Amino acid sequence: MSTQSSERERMTTSREPDISEGETPDLQALGDIPQGTGHTVQVENLHAYYGANHAIKNINLTFRANEVTAIIGPSGCGKSTMVRCINRMHEEIPYARAEGRVLLDDEDVYSPKVDVTAVRRAIGMVFQRPNPFPTMSIFDNVASGLRLAGVRGENMRERVHRSLRAVGLWGEVKNRLNSPGIGLSGGQQQRLCIARTIAVEPEVILMDEPCSALDPVATLKVEELIDELKARYTIVIVTHNMQQAARVANSTVFMLDGEVVEHAPTNDVFTNPRDERTERYVTGKFG
Amino acid sequence: MEAGSLSVAQQRLRGGPGARRRRAVNRVVEVLCTFAAFLAVAVLLLVVISVLIKGLPALNLDFFTKNPAPFGMTGGGIANSIVGSAILVLLATAMSVPVGIMVAIYTSEFAPTKVSEGIRFALDILNGVPTIVTGVFIFGLLVVGHQQSGWAGAIALAIVELPIVARSAQEVLDLVPRSLHEAGLALGLRRWRIVLRIVLPTALGGLITGAVLGVARVAGETAPLLFASSIFSNLGITTNPAQAMPNIPVTIFTLSESPSPQDHAQAWAAALVLIAFVLILSVIARTFHERSRRRIRG
Repeated sequence: MSTQSSERERMTTSREPDISEGETPDLQALGDIPQGTGHTVQVENLHAYYGANHAIKNINLTFRANEVTAIIGPSGCGKSTMVRCINRMHEEIPYARAEGRVLLDDEDVYSPKVDVTAVRRAIGMVFQRPNPFPTMSIFDNVASGLRLAGVRGENMRERVHRSLRAVGLWGEVKNRLNSPGIGLSGGQQQRLCIARTIAVEPEVILMDEPCSALDPVATLKVEELIDELKARYTIVIVTHNMQQAARVANSTVFMLDGEVVEHAPTNDVFTNPRDERTERYVTGKFG
Repeated sequence: MEAGSLSVAQQRLRGGPGARRRRAVNRVVEVLCTFAAFLAVAVLLLVVISVLIKGLPALNLDFFTKNPAPFGMTGGGIANSIVGSAILVLLATAMSVPVGIMVAIYTSEFAPTKVSEGIRFALDILNGVPTIVTGVFIFGLLVVGHQQSGWAGAIALAIVELPIVARSAQEVLDLVPRSLHEAGLALGLRRWRIVLRIVLPTALGGLITGAVLGVARVAGETAPLLFASSIFSNLGITTNPAQAMPNIPVTIFTLSESPSPQDHAQAWAAALVLIAFVLILSVIARTFHERSRRRIRG
């Protein structure tokens, strides 16, 4: 990306700060939560490779339903790679492959009977940089995944509107649903991408450093949203920012060199880590 | 002043020994490069200006609307060649643009890296094949045993146009950010759908640029048409591609071979029409290119 566009992003953000709107995410818009519908993700003996490079080494983890799990660790430790193995995005990179099992409830997403596009609809993903489709309007961005599922007409409009309400963007965009998605500020774009993801009704949402390209105010808004979203979804968030992990996550995983060092309730990881390496990382001694 | 009397800072900032020579070399290189740049522009200007000077006198409304005068008569125009060229280029473009864009989609979106590189290299070679060779090839394939035809000419032009369209489309598709593919994949969209709904709309401006440049290039191609579409049964307008079709490049060639000064003037005028067409297309291509760049950068 050019510096020009980030420059413009900053300018738009300062002109229309996200904080000016008092709108809060309205998850009720998505309807009542059915009882006992949380979904667990279990990673078993996961290995991932980039060509000959062994990036993920035998990871075993459980992501509990309706909780936020944060993945922390220094750059290059395999956080993103591990998360991208969960919805099979890792294999889209040339020469990349994964081994092991990733269970959504009791079904292995790597089973040969499984359709990879169905996996990605069930396990949505939000990326580091907001990436709305540049040729599409705000409405069409949210509708883009729905059209594939054959949702049409009034039903689709309804789902788009509910998703925008759920991410707290409705009031800000309801009068300009047909203007381009890339005309929004950075923080709004990221919430638009989250709306696009939840519109297809996933069970799990993976977030790969979703706030690292956002200013502090927009970050706060997305964090509030994550806190709301966990009532409905299982959330895994990769973050560079330990304060963010402390603010949003029920449990935290510390990774180092492609391995899991520690997985514990967030509070324990930051105040009472079992492993010395975790302690050194969370106290800022390396990383 | 002697070196010994300079302060440390003076010695340092004046660049020490050899500084003067390095500055001189720098200056010479700069002048040579500037000269080369102006030379390139000057050549274009000279061509355009000489065609303008020699072509304008014979240019009038009749030149566009009338067919060539019968042998021995004066006046007349190149209406038949304009119509013929338009049909030939249109047919060639209708063949090469869809195929070219599909080739580019295959290499940029689906093919393994090695295969993709191989195809790119093959297209570069195809682009380098002298067009007279393409002409001979089509002559042997479609004209020998049959007759010259608009179809043969259009197919020859399509072969010339294909690598231009495909290569430029590849460049544009490669510019579409990876993050948009990923966004589509993460929504569970299938590849062809990502191409159709996300990649192609994003790259549209650049694809049009490539197609327009391809048109501009083949509009002036002469060699393949000399083999495929240069012997005309009549001087009227032909719209049936099953017959040889008069066209601007061959007309320029034929008129300039004639002994009559009036034909020479008409050759210049036809050249002017052709060059104006190409210039206009280039400006259009540039406009779309700008549009596309803005869109891709978001």
